[in-house]
Amino acid sequence: MANLKEIKRKIGSVKNTAKTTNAMKLVSSAKLRRTEELAKRSRVYAAKLTELLNEIAQKMQQANVDGLDNVYFKEVSKPKTVDIVFITADKGLCGGFNAQTIKRVSQLISDYKAQDVKVRLRAVGRKGVDYFKFNDIELNNEVIGLSAAPDYAQAAEFINEIADSYVNGETDRIILVHNGYVNMITQEIKQDQLLPIHPSKLELKETSTSEMEVEPDDDDTLLDALVKRYVEYTMYYSLIDSLAAEHSARMQAMDAATNNAKEMVKSLTVQYNKARQEAITTELIEIISGMESMK
Amino acid sequence: MELMKLEIVTPNGVIFDNEVRQVTLPGSEGEFGVLPKHATLVSLLETGVIEIIKADGKKVAVAINSGYVKVDEEKTTCIVDGAVALSGEGTDLAKALNEAKELLKKAESSSTVIAAAVSKVESIGKTL
Repeated sequence: MANLKEIKRKIGSVKNTAKTTNAMKLVSSAKLRRTEELAKRSRVYAAKLTELLNEIAQKMQQANVDGLDNVYFKEVSKPKTVDIVFITADKGLCGGFNAQTIKRVSQLISDYKAQDVKVRLRAVGRKGVDYFKFNDIELNNEVIGLSAAPDYAQAAEFINEIADSYVNGETDRIILVHNGYVNMITQEIKQDQLLPIHPSKLELKETSTSEMEVEPDDDDTLLDALVKRYVEYTMYYSLIDSLAAEHSARMQAMDAATNNAKEMVKSLTVQYNKARQEAITTELIEIISGMESMK
Repeated sequence: MELMKLEIVTPNGVIFDNEVRQVTLPGSEGEFGVLPKHATLVSLLETGVIEIIKADGKKVAVAINSGYVKVDEEKTTCIVDGAVALSGEGTDLAKALNEAKELLKKAESSSTVIAAAVSKVESIGKTL
């Protein structure tokens, strides 16, 4: 009898879990829609900015036979220090979303360690911070709360500090790692080199071979402003992209959890019915055998 | 009439993407006009107003706070931080004018530049 009660209690609790996970799924899908919209609108801007910067970089490369001379583009062949900026979520319950990013970062660390390169970690998001702290790996920067609500000014402040240390020569490379949004059911780890900027060798349009005027043409005002903007915006866009991916990952995880819970309720109900039938049969046998013995 | 493509992109999306006859931009070294087949040019943009003459000859103005412009022979791309479009048709002009002034006032420029831009927005508001 105690068994019956036990099963009934279990069914109730699993049903409650299903309710919670289902609610979380709905919340995530609503948030995802909003974040996706935001990401879509910022994507055009980010793409244009990158395009413009690439074009300038290519022009500079053409002018300079030995490669680019500017600090923002100059690739160091043997970096001594590398900064890794990575973005994780503040909350869990989103499947392998955070674990994937952490795994990639850990792999990068060991790769660089093997080359005898000093690695400095800059973490955004509680999950990443917690993981590396727990494993006693030093973090140079940590920001919590930014990945759940991307804010341009805050993102700019965070990344500018790191960019400054690059310009000062404290670090030779800045790498940005985040789990990006591909579509509703897919996320993909994205690893970009933020600085120095890689001029993509993809396309050099014929129309752009003409001479380019630059205003203001004194030293590097335009380029400095453009690079600063590019770095800030890339950081901001990565945050949005990561947030969209987080919501889609959570949606998936919660969908799976709800289905599993429903499945479990089904099998528990079968178990409950079986146990009840068994109890009835036992009772009947007792009654009948009692009657038989009276005869 | 020759035409060129003009795009104005902000972090919140594309606000203008069409064929135009002429565009006047608030460059950091002074205002300059762009006609089709302009030589390639990259410039910083100051707080101010972009004036556009559309393919049908109608005028449109866009107030911006700061940004960049890339001009080549067939296309002009403005990448700006914030922008408010002011056009004579359809939308609530008074509201747009106020929004434009708000945007300009918040811009990180010298007060004279902002004052000039605001007065320009006001005078455009009267002509539209």
